[in-house]
Amino acid sequence: MKYYFKALALNLKSELEYRTSFIFSFISQIIIFFSYYFVILSLFTKFSNIKGFTLYEVLLCFSIVQFGYSFNEVFARGLDKFDNLIIQGGFDRLLLRPKNIIIQVLYNESDFVKTSRLFHALIILVVAITHLNIKWNIIKIICLLLMMLSAIIIFFSIFLLAASYCFITVQGLEVRNVFTDGGKHMAQYPIGIFSKGFIYFFTFIIPYAFVNYYPLLYILGKSNKTIYAFSPLLLFIYLIPCLIIFYLGVKRYGSVGS
Amino acid sequence: MKAYLTYFKLKFITGLQYRAAALAGISTQFFFGFVYIMVYFAFYKSGSGTLPMDMSSLTSYIWLNQAFYALITHFYKDNEIYNMIKTGNISYELIRPKNIFYMWYFKILGQRYSNVLLRSIPIIVVTILLPEPYNLSLPISFNAFILSIISLIIGSLLIIALSTLYPIITLLTMNEKGVVNIFVVIADLLSGIIVPIPFFPPILRKISIFLPFQYISDLPFRIYVGNINIHDGLIGLGIQFIWLFIIILIGYKLMNYNLKRVVVQGG
Repeated sequence: MKYYFKALALNLKSELEYRTSFIFSFISQIIIFFSYYFVILSLFTKFSNIKGFTLYEVLLCFSIVQFGYSFNEVFARGLDKFDNLIIQGGFDRLLLRPKNIIIQVLYNESDFVKTSRLFHALIILVVAITHLNIKWNIIKIICLLLMMLSAIIIFFSIFLLAASYCFITVQGLEVRNVFTDGGKHMAQYPIGIFSKGFIYFFTFIIPYAFVNYYPLLYILGKSNKTIYAFSPLLLFIYLIPCLIIFYLGVKRYGSVGS
Repeated sequence: MKAYLTYFKLKFITGLQYRAAALAGISTQFFFGFVYIMVYFAFYKSGSGTLPMDMSSLTSYIWLNQAFYALITHFYKDNEIYNMIKTGNISYELIRPKNIFYMWYFKILGQRYSNVLLRSIPIIVVTILLPEPYNLSLPISFNAFILSIISLIIGSLLIIALSTLYPIITLLTMNEKGVVNIFVVIADLLSGIIVPIPFFPPILRKISIFLPFQYISDLPFRIYVGNINIHDGLIGLGIQFIWLFIIILIGYKLMNYNLKRVVVQGG
């Protein structure tokens, strides 16, 4: 882990060398992020609620999901760009080193401009919480932290699966954007608002519902089942097969030459 | 003129080769379309107050946006042109005895038309055949249909004029990420791709009247679904022409201004 942070610090240093470019990109990321919740803001000027969820309740859900996604964009960028690593043969180089392979992949690349989104998401989270009348207790605080943690884990798992897929196809498939970018886009609304088929798919195949819906119901007091508060823990179980698949991929990886 | 059309043809044919990329684009567009529609459904079901668009025209509006996304979005980067600027290969472009603004314009035109041709037809065919609440409905009338096609063509010429403007600005700032990126996001927002213009907060709606962005895709699609009537549509068409003229003029002048002071550093 020590190497991981050291490599991240180096990455940050090299990014900051291009200072103007960094600052401009940082600002443009703020505006891009704004366009994400612009939809929510402008629709709530016409409607008062969406299936019982009010503006700040939706923003709470939105900010947690965006937080998890941007966290991965900053700290696990290498996984997102895994196809480059395979195509250019850089993965062979990593395999030679006597360190954990996943951690090496993670710090292979990073994108600190995206910290802009991370902070932005946290600000919205705070704004949403201060506007909501939540009766906080210890379980609810744990639940909120679990939601944030599980948001990180779910996107990490999906990135991991997409990366494992590169072992077979060599090229990264653009279709995975449906599950990463599209999934993020969908999960910024409480999943209960969608139609049945969608809910089933995103509960049992890719378990977004345990990140942004059941625990949200508990925090908002729409449900009293304490079990909902701990449902994000299921994501840890979801992570296990994803890790196994990735390691299976590494085992049968036979380099692409070059 | 013939030389420019050749540029168009060249790019158009090359663009048609990227069918796998188009397939990926189509699946993303379908997913986003469904998500948007379901979100609006949920809002409408719990809804109250006066609504600027009924659900079936809104559904059609969303599908049209998704089908023509590759044509109407500002998030489009002609990497070839940007690379030319970065590497200095632009000097080869400069020695050609043709106007560089029109050269770029027709290159981007060919590229974007081929992109949208591959993506829009499958999306339109499938969405027309979808079951009731999710489908793309037929145009409100024959006249509206013809008018919306004309307006979409002018709108596409307008967006391509804007897309040609971005690399020209890059020539000025030498930084493709900064100003241009910020501009692109705001333009996309105001052109109604993310939220249809009738749903904008009132202040933003007033601002967008004075900007060219709603005349790219919002006007033709709202004519198609009948949210704008024929009479207003014809007026809109006139404004489209004016904006097209203004943007091309700005691009042309800015390019000439740039070329006077462009410095190619070796290469």
